[in-house]
Amino acid sequence: MIWEVFRQEEAGDRHTHCGNVHAPDREMALLFAQIQHGRRMQTNSLWVAPSDEIGEVDADETEFGGTTDKSYRWAITYNEIDASFAEEVAESEAEQEEAAEKRGDV
Amino acid sequence: MAQPAPGDLSPVEAQLLRLADDEYVLAERYTEWQIFAPTPEADLALANIAQDEFGHARLWYDLLQDEFGYEEPDLLWERDPGNFVHSPLVELETPDGDWADTVVRSYLYDVAERLRLDALADSSFDPIADRVRKVQSEEGYHREHAQSWLDRLTGGGGDAHRRVQSAVDRLFPYALTLFAPTANEDEIVAAGVRTRALADVRADWLDEVVPYLESLDVVVPDPSAVSHPDEVGRDGSHTGDWAALHEEFTATYHELGFDDPATLRSENA
Repeated sequence: MIWEVFRQEEAGDRHTHCGNVHAPDREMALLFAQIQHGRRMQTNSLWVAPSDEIGEVDADETEFGGTTDKSYRWAITYNEIDASFAEEVAESEAEQEEAAEKRGDV
Repeated sequence: MAQPAPGDLSPVEAQLLRLADDEYVLAERYTEWQIFAPTPEADLALANIAQDEFGHARLWYDLLQDEFGYEEPDLLWERDPGNFVHSPLVELETPDGDWADTVVRSYLYDVAERLRLDALADSSFDPIADRVRKVQSEEGYHREHAQSWLDRLTGGGGDAHRRVQSAVDRLFPYALTLFAPTANEDEIVAAGVRTRALADVRADWLDEVVPYLESLDVVVPDPSAVSHPDEVGRDGSHTGDWAALHEEFTATYHELGFDDPATLRSENA
């Protein structure tokens, strides 16, 4: 049985997928994951989840974000905002610009 | 500096040497599983445990070097095999491919190790007490690992259960030698190097190991009725399996004719 392993570096960080382990059950998966994924890198916490229990939808099956113009979602559609006042606005702008570039919209 | 020889050691030296030799020789046996363990995960876990045990051996050998003036070749590479004082439990050859044997040996050893470390935590010799804490924090994984495997090997009955039973039958008498005294056991306790007598540690070990194994439907030999092996290790007496293992781990040293073997992060590395 395959268990997907998610590692958190520091308390408060997200758990990020880092690989998997073969194990017969959750307890053994946690034991093995400690060695395989928590030994060499800074680790605060590990999650394991059975591979079968992870749902997936990918770009072949759906259009993430839709196909029509949704530029109204962009923070930068509001005029004359000084993004320096709000970090999250600046981040959102950067994120949206990057996404647009990847889609080839810009 | 001469090699350490059992029967000719101060209480602290005697205690350190049996600690170091147990860890070192057990790690040698663990590493024989590399690339042969049942799964890659099992392989990595056991390799990691072996590295821990080598690390612990290093802590105790370092103390013998720093405090008593021995050199590494006296302690390992050039020491007469008859001057090693580990328990024969850790030197026994693993029956070919018998994972249950390794799991049982690890369990019997790791419980004894925890109790032994507890008895050293308040050692009158401060460098021992200081190092015990480092070792203790790694030993928890070893016991959990061994018990997790034992629970699963015995859970389904059949061949795996039978193998665990036969490993217990074979190893239990040798495990009792973990508590065999060295010549100066009384001085070790009187000087507070270890705060509890081996006989008391042995009693605690039996109180833990026997009920646990019985809960897995494993029959544990009666400790007062088992025929005790002639080789108890602590006085330098060893089983026939020891000579070959000793020869193997010193072979490279002799083949390469090191004047000064490299150590990690040293100038010669």
